[in-house]
Amino acid sequence: MRLRQVCINFIKWIFIGIILIFTVYPILYTLLGSFKTNWELTSGGNFFPKKWMFSNYTQAYIQSNFLKYSINSILISGTSMFIALLTSSMAGYVFARHTFPGKKIIVSAYLAMMFISLGAVSIYPVYILFHKIGLTKSFLGLAIALTGSQATNVFLTVGFVRSIPVSMDEAAYLEGCSYMKIFYKIIIPLIRPILGVIALFAFRYAWNDYLIGLIMTISNPDLMPITVAVVQLKYSMNAAAEWHIMLAGASLAIVPILVLYIFTNKQFISGLTVGAVKG
Amino acid sequence: MRLKSKASNYLQIYLMLFPSLLIFAVLSVYPIMWALKYVFYEYNGYTNPKFVGLDNFIRAFTRDPLFINALKNTFIYVGGKIVIILPLAFILAIFLNKKTKIHGALQALIFSPTIISSAVMSLVFYLMLNAYNGEVNRLLLKLGLVDSPVNWLGSKYAMLSTVIVSVWAGLGNYMVYFLAGLQSIPDEIYESGAIDGVNSFQKLIYITIPMLGPMLKVILMLALITAFQDMSNILVLTGGGPFGKTNVMSLYVYSLYFPVNASDTATFMPQYGYGAAVSVISACIVGFITVIYLKISNKLDDIY
Repeated sequence: MRLRQVCINFIKWIFIGIILIFTVYPILYTLLGSFKTNWELTSGGNFFPKKWMFSNYTQAYIQSNFLKYSINSILISGTSMFIALLTSSMAGYVFARHTFPGKKIIVSAYLAMMFISLGAVSIYPVYILFHKIGLTKSFLGLAIALTGSQATNVFLTVGFVRSIPVSMDEAAYLEGCSYMKIFYKIIIPLIRPILGVIALFAFRYAWNDYLIGLIMTISNPDLMPITVAVVQLKYSMNAAAEWHIMLAGASLAIVPILVLYIFTNKQFISGLTVGAVKG
Repeated sequence: MRLKSKASNYLQIYLMLFPSLLIFAVLSVYPIMWALKYVFYEYNGYTNPKFVGLDNFIRAFTRDPLFINALKNTFIYVGGKIVIILPLAFILAIFLNKKTKIHGALQALIFSPTIISSAVMSLVFYLMLNAYNGEVNRLLLKLGLVDSPVNWLGSKYAMLSTVIVSVWAGLGNYMVYFLAGLQSIPDEIYESGAIDGVNSFQKLIYITIPMLGPMLKVILMLALITAFQDMSNILVLTGGGPFGKTNVMSLYVYSLYFPVNASDTATFMPQYGYGAAVSVISACIVGFITVIYLKISNKLDDIY
């Protein structure tokens, strides 16, 4: 019996070990590889770089213009996060607290659209529309496209607002507060935890996106976010000779979000299930 | 007096709803309306759209081997991903369902791939899976697991590689879903089981799995829907190639819309109308499967 327990434990930790290597190794390969020479990468070397080539990064920043693309990504993701917070918190509050003509139709439309996805087909008309009204000339258009309709976040906020006693609103209303004042004086401070989760997820989504960024910047490559710029290296002329630049670029695209994750992993992990359990 | 305040209240409500509604209308409703119009047209963006009735749908099922191929590949991809990812995530969740520091750290590490861009990491995998000087072959050769380098992105293994990369990117998510499910099972049930003297295997079969039932249903549905929509990882890793071996439906639609960016396509003119039709078909297939799945799982609930 004792022996069996030991065996089971042994198998368990072997399994966890294999999965751990499987999940973490590619990330380590990217980060460490970004300091190797191209020759060391393609011919095989040690796990750690022989000589730490910090020049890969200067080369990526200057030659491949990655500094600009990183700044683009920060602006785009920050704006998208801001729009997501603004729209989903206000809509969530209104849905949770008020009845008004057309509410039923709007709520069911939001719900229905959560389950319908047409992939690339739904990006193209938006691109044409934004192009016509000049939104593709700045990163604002891309940020709006990345924010999306926020249906999931709206319903997350609804759930959270409902957990706040209505009596707080009523007291404020009797004191003469308008709905908007109630919203930003009472509701916003109380729903901060869920706003944090929405902000994190919106930022991550915008930062990591590839497809929407690729399509929305077709006519204006200067606005490319870093993810798109990195992947474009695959199709560049001398892709075979640029593994070190690709990995330096990939690191630039994943390190900011990994650093964010180190400090907020609890919110990231619990935020995922808040959505899953309720949705 | 009262009426006036009511009107001003409604005004405030609609004002607060407006930004969200505007984005919803532009980004969700408008593209679907657009697509539903153009499914009946032949349209390449340059010449005038030509009304063709239902011909786009007929073409997909009767005259387009690429569509049939993409349909087949989609089912292989979705099936393969789910069959690998869900059991792995479930076992991981069972093993890591403890509230110690080490277990928490392991969970956070295994979850980390889901945090970063899967498109960018697909580029890294593209390098790692390179047949001649990729890291994966080098490791496998060193460990003696293969005799000669394997062409991971060649026609024989491309789909397998694609599935494995998508498992890598999604495993942490499903582990967390299962952990949430496990933690929702009340401890008392396990305690009463312990009094009855069940061993850990019986505990798993007779308590954990039945109690997970409803959650499992949700997880499987989420897995199905997301797997059908996966595309940017495949686009970067293989571009649908070689010879359309990994061309799934979402990617096929993309290649009809943006032929320049997709590397493995047969057409060079965009086909917006036909692409819209294909995407509507694939949305219907996903919807159909979801409904059937819900019906079946409800039937199973009745039996138990």
